[in-house]
Amino acid sequence: MTTEQDEYILKVEGLGVNYGSFEAVKDVGFKVLQGEIFGLLGPNGAGKTSTLSAIECLVKFKSGSILLNGFDVQQQPLQAKASMGVQLQSTSFQAELNVIQILQLYSGIYGVPMDTEQVKALLKEISLADAGKKKFSQLSGGQQQRLSLVIATIHNPKLVLLDEPTTGLDPQSRRQLWERIEAIKARGHAVLLTTHSMEEAEAVCDRIAIVDHGRVIAIDTPQALVDKYRDDPEVIAASRRGKITLEDVFIGLTGKTVRA
Amino acid sequence: MENNNINIPSTPTVLATLFKADVATQISNRRSVIITLLVPIMILISWKNFAQKIGGPYVLSSAIDIGLISIGLMGYSLSLARDRDKGIFQRLRVAPVPTWAIMFSRISIQLLMIMILNLVIFMVGMQVDKVTLPASGYIVAFFSAFIGGAVYLSLGQLIVGLVKNFETVNASVRLVYFLFIMIGMFGELGLLGDYIKDAIRWTPYGCVKIMLAASMEPDKWDKDATRAVLLSLGYIVVFAGIGINKFKWSTK
Repeated sequence: MTTEQDEYILKVEGLGVNYGSFEAVKDVGFKVLQGEIFGLLGPNGAGKTSTLSAIECLVKFKSGSILLNGFDVQQQPLQAKASMGVQLQSTSFQAELNVIQILQLYSGIYGVPMDTEQVKALLKEISLADAGKKKFSQLSGGQQQRLSLVIATIHNPKLVLLDEPTTGLDPQSRRQLWERIEAIKARGHAVLLTTHSMEEAEAVCDRIAIVDHGRVIAIDTPQALVDKYRDDPEVIAASRRGKITLEDVFIGLTGKTVRA
Repeated sequence: MENNNINIPSTPTVLATLFKADVATQISNRRSVIITLLVPIMILISWKNFAQKIGGPYVLSSAIDIGLISIGLMGYSLSLARDRDKGIFQRLRVAPVPTWAIMFSRISIQLLMIMILNLVIFMVGMQVDKVTLPASGYIVAFFSAFIGGAVYLSLGQLIVGLVKNFETVNASVRLVYFLFIMIGMFGELGLLGDYIKDAIRWTPYGCVKIMLAASMEPDKWDKDATRAVLLSLGYIVVFAGIGINKFKWSTK
């Protein structure tokens, strides 16, 4: 018998993250199902990256629990980390290492060591065959994203965490990245991504959670959220062209004020 | 909810992989390695004519002391501050790697640099200054250099622990490096007066210098040398204790 517990790969419950006296995340809870692309949306400073950082074991959280692939991220951080692949918001690798050396480093520390020939074959798969001897900084934005993504999935993780993966990419690179994210899903992995782009959320996410002031204020499929809030006065007021879009729902729920 | 099919690499595999990457980084940073060796070698060359007057151990220990400062401050702390600033540590920390392994690999590289520094100083000292030590002198000095290196590595850790901003770390280590060279070396020679000369003896610079010089002539080991070793160990405990406790992996 399949239960709900069998289906989720990530369960976040009552999560609270503080930086000193500042409460960045307050009582956040959601589940990411296996093979699902789940989006965290929110204005700047809403708590998206703090939530992701807690899942990634980068910050200690004050309250709540995070279960990833059955492992408590605070009690069993190595097991939890081995179950996830991560692409951070500002991706950076050792400036002195070339692409082959970077891939060998990360394949090694994720327990799937590769020799130079295997790395070259992998680079060919992601259209970076000629970039092996280049430094990370010498790659274009799209190439850097492709490399970061392949590193995030190098160990075949259960869950891939992507923090604003398409920021700064041109439309072609963005589309290509969406296809790669969908390919990750097709291989049975779950994806949790944060984004500011409503277009991206609608294009790739199966479900989304809208986060504001450190709390989840709405969670559902993009279409279900539009249907649910289309009659909300704030959402109607936010609508620019009469037809209610996910962006209208987002603005209606989080307000028009520009965040720092 | 599944918890199978995970692959946690063994600690030796992780350490070997990190160390290999750190060695590749160090090799790419050839200029910084050369600069680390250059100043001590310049001391050896410029003091060539004084070596027999002021003593071979004095010349060699001064050169090694300056090189150790460079390794601990310029090599170790600057690389930590830069990688922290660029988010490289955060990227490593989201992998199934114990955090101590990341630091262990970094420190191992600096220990390797200390070995290279010693070998270079001893060889240049022998060739240029005609300074030779008894075999026991070379061996004990080698071990003392590791303790001395640990003093400056822990001082570097203290600086990156207390200062988050890369530019401020950069300015701080250069200032400390300059102070150690100028006040330490010239003060010790008595050029800055007797008060400074006495005060410098028990600073990190002075302790490492006394310890190294005494190690090169084990037969002449005295109470001051023992005191210098104990004080060096004290500096290591205090600097590393505060530096590790205050260290943040991210500048955010």
